[in-house]
Amino acid sequence: MNPRMTRDQLLRRGAAGLTVLSLPTLLAACGGGGGGEASGELKDVLNFANWPLYIDIDEETKERPTLNKFTEETGIKVNYFEEINDNATYFAKIQGPLSQGRGIDRDIIVLTDTERPLNVILENGWAEKLDKSLIPNIENLIPAQQSPPFDPDREYTLPWQSGMTGIAWNPKLTEPVRSISQLLDDPNLKGKVTMLSGFADSVGLVMLDNGDDPSAFTDESFQRAVDRVQAAVDSGQIRRFTGNDYAEPLSRGTIAAAVAWSGDIVQLKLDNPDLEFAIPEAGGMIWTDNMMIPLGGSVPTASTFMNFVYDPVNMAAIAAYVNYIPPVAGVKEVILETDPELASNQLIFPDEETLGRLHQIDAAAIGNEEYLAQWQSVIGA
Amino acid sequence: MSATTAGPAVVTSRLGTGARVWRFVKRHTLTAYAALAFAYLMLPIAVVILFSFNDPLGRFNYVWQGFTLDNWRNWDGVLGLREAVTTSLEIAALSTVVATALGTLMAMAIVRHHFRGRGTANVLVFLPLATPEIVLGASLLSLFITAQVATGFWTIFVAHVMFIVSFVVVTVKARLVGFDRHLEEAAMDLGADELTTFRKITLPLLAPAILAGALLGFAISIDDFVITYFVAGPTQTFPLFVWGAARVAVPPQVNVIASAIFLIAVTIAVVNVIIASLRAGRRQQGA
Amino acid sequence: MGSFLHRHRGVAPYLLLAPGLAWLTLFFLLPLAFLGYQSLQSGSFPNYAFTWEFSNYAKAFTDFRPQLMRSLTYAGLATALALLLAYPLVYWIAFRAGRWKNLFLLFIVAPFFVTYLIRTLAWLNILADEGPVVGVLRDVGLLADDGRLLATSIAVVAGITYNFFALMALPIYVSLEQIDHRLLEAAKDLYASPTQAFLRVTLPLSAPGIVAGTLLTFIPAAGDFINAQLLGTPQQYMLGNVIQSRFLELIDYPTAAALSFVLMATILVALLAYARVVGSEKLTG
Repeated sequence: MNPRMTRDQLLRRGAAGLTVLSLPTLLAACGGGGGGEASGELKDVLNFANWPLYIDIDEETKERPTLNKFTEETGIKVNYFEEINDNATYFAKIQGPLSQGRGIDRDIIVLTDTERPLNVILENGWAEKLDKSLIPNIENLIPAQQSPPFDPDREYTLPWQSGMTGIAWNPKLTEPVRSISQLLDDPNLKGKVTMLSGFADSVGLVMLDNGDDPSAFTDESFQRAVDRVQAAVDSGQIRRFTGNDYAEPLSRGTIAAAVAWSGDIVQLKLDNPDLEFAIPEAGGMIWTDNMMIPLGGSVPTASTFMNFVYDPVNMAAIAAYVNYIPPVAGVKEVILETDPELASNQLIFPDEETLGRLHQIDAAAIGNEEYLAQWQSVIGA
Repeated sequence: MSATTAGPAVVTSRLGTGARVWRFVKRHTLTAYAALAFAYLMLPIAVVILFSFNDPLGRFNYVWQGFTLDNWRNWDGVLGLREAVTTSLEIAALSTVVATALGTLMAMAIVRHHFRGRGTANVLVFLPLATPEIVLGASLLSLFITAQVATGFWTIFVAHVMFIVSFVVVTVKARLVGFDRHLEEAAMDLGADELTTFRKITLPLLAPAILAGALLGFAISIDDFVITYFVAGPTQTFPLFVWGAARVAVPPQVNVIASAIFLIAVTIAVVNVIIASLRAGRRQQGA
Repeated sequence: MGSFLHRHRGVAPYLLLAPGLAWLTLFFLLPLAFLGYQSLQSGSFPNYAFTWEFSNYAKAFTDFRPQLMRSLTYAGLATALALLLAYPLVYWIAFRAGRWKNLFLLFIVAPFFVTYLIRTLAWLNILADEGPVVGVLRDVGLLADDGRLLATSIAVVAGITYNFFALMALPIYVSLEQIDHRLLEAAKDLYASPTQAFLRVTLPLSAPGIVAGTLLTFIPAAGDFINAQLLGTPQQYMLGNVIQSRFLELIDYPTAAALSFVLMATILVALLAYARVVGSEKLTG
């Protein structure tokens, strides 16, 4: 047991919402994730690295209400860094210290499960184990998220927000596009189609359309998908591969249809209500940004925060602002009271039937260098 | 504009009517071309300014929805944006001053002196321009990590000076190569020492080149994303903020700030010219 | 100090160079050495080992030749285009803009103030298939009715030209601005036609600026990746895009490092060829 565990800290943990202090709890709390003493101590500051505009902001006071509330309730101050612009570049920035076994001075970072960095960090043991005893609210995690391929028991990661990958189209320019086959083969769409450059998003959708399972790649199923995309590139059907820069041309009508993210369409529809988004009949993909504790981060502090945001009331405040899919059960009910229209938005609160048609990407495939290299050459680099 | 009073006009009288028409056409063709070229340069800026008055319904500021002053009124409404812009301006100003000084000295050494290692120094100046930013940023970061330097404001500054310096050297060299050294020699002959000559003769003659180099450096610093991202630590600059926000959607306040920077810079330049000409006018009256 | 320099003329250049050189050595050469070390590693992330893996270079040269050639072609085209567009403009500023010179110089660098992403988004807006530019080009028959500008080589080259315009313009301005007007008048007095005066006097005197501008434009343009990424398609990708993807997506640091040196070496070879054409003295000052 950690001798530094003081009475004061115990009390503060109580304040953090922990009602029963059982012996296993303490053992778990003090054991940390093997990252040394720093990882086992509750601190009064949380260093939280997140993506820009990814937590609620009060436009009037220009403060972040959720973070303030957390500080009020727990006494833990939050240093909030909006420094993650994309997974790959952020990873390039932090891999140096991590690979030398050093911390990066962050207690929580948020990375996407459809991209490689999250998996590389887990594979190399560069993440601390969550202290679930401090996260009783984990029971609010929606069933669809409880056992992802990369972290089957949610030992290291907890979802922050999710989104769906499907097909968006501009009804002024095309018939409804409800399948990848139509997107890739319809001659009317030639040169008017973009796909996401993300491996998981695009390959995943094509595999589903082929009747293959994107959660369990085989060399053959991958090859089938890649060949189809390559053929569509060669024929000029696919105009470009994009990040979320498909949004502007889709909205304007430069392109007619795109492999798109639901979160973008929520925003685009406000400007251009005609735009449509659908999960293809063969199924769609889901991506999730996950909170995790990088090597050397304070496990109790981070876990306390995770517990806080897994309270549906707190997650509702975040979800109402960021408009992605919250991973916490009960959020919809909270929002229903304040903003029924938002609560009925299928892109933010998809029904069970829709959720059932979403698939997670095979974690091993994302780390497969040959697959990645081949995909990169299809998208041109 | 002073275009019509330019020097060579004196010789027109010696030319025939046909030539005079030709001159007229030519002069105005050039001016018309300049106007077109500026329109081309300013076109995206005009769009940026236009969209700073847009009233988007969602978060994407792409499609014109309607005119509003709200974004300007609420220019500081985006958390962290003001700090990011301030940091960018500070770093750009600071690194421009240092890089301009270092670069000017290097250019003088390379152009004016023949010494061992001159060729090497020359190539060294070009190399940073030829290195892809991403690998430059990443290897610079590994240097800082190895040396256990905490990344932040000062590491950004160091990196910016490093890549601006080459631009200054090349720009100042372009002036020094065609430099008339007789003026300097004359000054020295009249008893001025090297420092006085440099201050009174060389520097004023180099001023347009130094100004141009500094302008370039400032512009490149304030626009840099890739290298800055690696060496920034938790520090946010304007481009980092914008790239980050782009994942969700760039708020219209970014257009406001970009427009404001542009308009303020133009205002300062215009006021400068007016003050200078007022002073010149007064001096003429006095004489 | 002045007299010290006068007495020790041999030391002077080194003193002038020292601060800048020290800066570049510490913050450029040292990281570059690390990059060189990385380029000879083998293995897979995070277990790269230094093995004198020269095959990384062989691979870089053979596997990515189309992208390398595209880097040179696009950069060359954009440089030529920028020169043609910038020269008359800065000529006008230097000789016709009078006391407003500095204001117009400011206009030239102004696009940088609006941050890369924002101005590229603006271009996407302007060049969109339904936008005004494409409409006009289609009406006058320069573009087919289903023709487009975005996602073509034209858009990529135009994007590079626009974004590196200031790097071409300012050095040329700097050398034009110092031309003595009396020289031009003298040429006219000697019955030189304006064209002759320009070709015999102005152009040669502005040559150092043209050389400097060409270098400042071509070198960074050859390493650019963002224009191809945002305005082009995979068929327009340049070596910079490959380096970007090797480094970030594949976490293949050795190949990315080797590719960087290949790019640098290619650029240096191009510069040497250029130096032979324009005369090495102009290139090195």
